[in-house]
Amino acid sequence: MLDFDLIRAGTLTEALEFLQKNGSSTRVIAGGTDLLVELRSLSEGSPEAPDYVLDISPLEELKGIREKKDLLLIGPLVTHREIAASGPVGRYAPLLARACSTVGAVQHRVAGTIGGNIINASPAADSVPALIALDAEVIFRSARKKRKKALKDIFVKPYLTDIRPDELLTEIRFKKLSEGARSGFIKLARRNALAISRMNIAVVIILGKGVVKDIRISPGSTTPLPDRITVAEKVMTGKKPTAELIRKAGAKVAEEMIARSGVRWSTPYKEPVIAAMVSRALREALGDELASG
Amino acid sequence: MKKISLNISVNGEKHRLKIDPNLRLLDLLRDELRLTGAKEGCGIGECGACTVLLDGAAVNSCLVLAGQCEGKKVLTIEGLKGAETLHPLQRAFVEEGAVQCGFCTPGMILSAKALIDENPRPGEEEIKEAISGNLCRCTGYRQIVEAIKEAALRLADSEK
Repeated sequence: MLDFDLIRAGTLTEALEFLQKNGSSTRVIAGGTDLLVELRSLSEGSPEAPDYVLDISPLEELKGIREKKDLLLIGPLVTHREIAASGPVGRYAPLLARACSTVGAVQHRVAGTIGGNIINASPAADSVPALIALDAEVIFRSARKKRKKALKDIFVKPYLTDIRPDELLTEIRFKKLSEGARSGFIKLARRNALAISRMNIAVVIILGKGVVKDIRISPGSTTPLPDRITVAEKVMTGKKPTAELIRKAGAKVAEEMIARSGVRWSTPYKEPVIAAMVSRALREALGDELASG
Repeated sequence: MKKISLNISVNGEKHRLKIDPNLRLLDLLRDELRLTGAKEGCGIGECGACTVLLDGAAVNSCLVLAGQCEGKKVLTIEGLKGAETLHPLQRAFVEEGAVQCGFCTPGMILSAKALIDENPRPGEEEIKEAISGNLCRCTGYRQIVEAIKEAALRLADSEK
């Protein structure tokens, strides 16, 4: 293991002040399920080796799930297990509860946090596609200021977000899904448990008078950066959600995957599979609202 | 590297320690406290051989810094049994043939304990889910699942 000093923050202010001075030589630890693997893989003297590890796991300010009018606010230290079991998340964002319940195994869900899942920025993160389908925003804070950004806009490349060295992610927020909203999350992995997503898909669909009013299609491990696939959403917007249209939306996601990621060794497999996953997620989300014809 | 202080309860015993800041909980248990029940398998949180209970929940102790455990309670396999007798989970593992080489067993049993503490009458799928982070390369999982079922029944009966 690398040599580093462990700083245990007592308050959020203390943590932010520490980062103000030492941010560029510090790594932040919460659940540790990704960071400890990474720290062990670094060799002494490598440019990524930090001088300090800042433990934010005790900070009460960054815990808990709260409701504020039509918003759900999630502290970055909330664990996957807490989200999967949360009443409000189950009611207002069931696709997120589902996504978090598929992360790793019990041990990873007990320790791993939603904030860590976001900032680690793995293309295979499970919570991120669900949060993007919820149009989530994140709040970054430094000792000096606070900024809010759409979650989908923070990703720079795989394993890198635009969080600055003096900042912490302090909140994840999104609008509660309305009562009639339908949503789903499907994960494809090599095994049923303790497995990293090969691909996953989160969808939200809101109907009005039998036609699609709002639809969000957000695949994971599919494009270089997580994003909604608006060209596929447009296929269905304003129309009756028929099986044929669902099939077309799936095909559009596959097409867009190739446009953004290029043809890779895995493309002959991923192309039909992501199309089928999107159609299935939409079909399951719609249930008996699937229109005939 | 500055040594840091740590107050931690392990198997009911309180310790005040000075530790290296980069020490993992697993190293603290095995190297400093000489509790070698938790095993290091993969070291990257995939095999579950290092599973211990941290404040009652199953964690991979290779993925926790010891310094993050200030004020917390750890239970290892050494703390599970009474002075003389095996814990019902341990006894069921022996009787059902759920132990072969034994390397995964301490972690497997602690994952099972976390489950039963929370859900005293788990179904088969819940048992499988609870031990999905613990890999066994010898016995197959059937005997292990049977042992956990049996232990849960006995524990539930003993509380009647």
